[in-house]
Amino acid sequence: MHIMEGYLPAAHALGWTIAAAPFVVAGTARIRAIIRERPEARLTLAASGAFAFVLSALKIPSVTGSCSHPTGTGLGAIVFGPSVMAVLGLIVLLFQALLLAHGGITTLGANTFSMAIVGPWVAFGIWKLAGKLGMPFAVAVFLAASLGDLATYVFTSLQLAFAYPDPVSGFFGAALKFGGIFAITQVPLSIAEGLLTVVVMEALSGKIRDEDRVSTLAGEGK
Amino acid sequence: MAIGTLDRAASQNRWRHRALKEKALIGFGFLLLALILPPWPGAVLVTLAVLGFTFLGARVPLRLWLATAALPLGFLMSGALMLLVTVGPTGVAFAPEGAVQAAGLVVRAMAASFCLMFVAMTTPTADLFGGLRRLKVPLELVELALLTYRFVFLITDEAAAMTAAQRARLGHSSRRRWLRSTAMVIANLLPRALARARRMEVGLAARGWQGEMRVLTRQVPVCNRMLALVVLTLVVVGLAGLML
Repeated sequence: MHIMEGYLPAAHALGWTIAAAPFVVAGTARIRAIIRERPEARLTLAASGAFAFVLSALKIPSVTGSCSHPTGTGLGAIVFGPSVMAVLGLIVLLFQALLLAHGGITTLGANTFSMAIVGPWVAFGIWKLAGKLGMPFAVAVFLAASLGDLATYVFTSLQLAFAYPDPVSGFFGAALKFGGIFAITQVPLSIAEGLLTVVVMEALSGKIRDEDRVSTLAGEGK
Repeated sequence: MAIGTLDRAASQNRWRHRALKEKALIGFGFLLLALILPPWPGAVLVTLAVLGFTFLGARVPLRLWLATAALPLGFLMSGALMLLVTVGPTGVAFAPEGAVQAAGLVVRAMAASFCLMFVAMTTPTADLFGGLRRLKVPLELVELALLTYRFVFLITDEAAAMTAAQRARLGHSSRRRWLRSTAMVIANLLPRALARARRMEVGLAARGWQGEMRVLTRQVPVCNRMLALVVLTLVVVGLAGLML
């Protein structure tokens, strides 16, 4: 769920851009380190970014009726790691703004923060936690992907509420309003995305031969 | 809308070969004005000016423009409705002052979206990223974005072919199957995308690639008259937005 161009007041747009900057800088530093070590990883990263973008244009059925698009947040966080996802997410959001007029340039910071930072970190945290707790693979993937999506949506509602607090009940009332209206589409979507990611991960784990490559991108490889 | 639609339209646009500086100044200059000026009359004037450049200058096809505008406007309507109601201890009520705020928001967000659409429909994305390189954005990011751009269309075609094949075999006949089919597309797409990257790596390494994708771009001189017109419009709209 992207905040559209011009929706946020100038101060908020600037504030979220500044808030997202350290994560993007850290992600860039990580990418720089990966590329210095293995220059050819550049193409792998680019292919992964393009994959994330194309993923977000695929249609999946949503539980309530209409169809929707997966965000790939959870999948990306599990496969590539959250720090690289901040940069890949930023690039995907930029392409969505420029190629689809979806999202925006002034809201890029806010959208990056919710979709490329909060979502992936939550998904990654849950994935790691579930692994520590010894949950089955499918349950861990489902929780990571669906809760990562939910976190993105809740955070976006908070961003909107922060920009447009309710005249009577203030920030919390506005958060309820925005959260309530977007819940209709976002809650079923996150369940659908959780299920989708489980099937993807199970199919993937049998497919990728070059597993080192993926774990290097996630910053776990040697 | 298909992924390539806007980019193709931008490549065929009448202003495709205008200098990037001129188009960026129009798109991002007015975007900035839309954001900082009070919505009335600032954003309204910005809308008029940008639509003038979009339709009279760049002659963007109206049908394409409307199809593109539909999605953000849908988001805007649901978001603006939220400002019309207030949630209090007594439940949901109509917010009188919310109407003014909502109207201001709609006008500003529309103006800003039209600025973005102007850029998206007159300037191919690759040109914009080329411009970022000159703006001292970290080279790794720009290179990565440009390489990503090249992969986007290849991978899109691949995904579209897979989806068509699945549909022809009743892969979308029920919700459960549809979800499963999409998951299979994604699971097949990632290894294929990585394999494609690997093949390209080998090919480029064999040709002594140093990690920078240099391409020839057509250098267009900035047209001073156009630049003057844009700056003048920006100043007029800016002053009018502040004074009126």
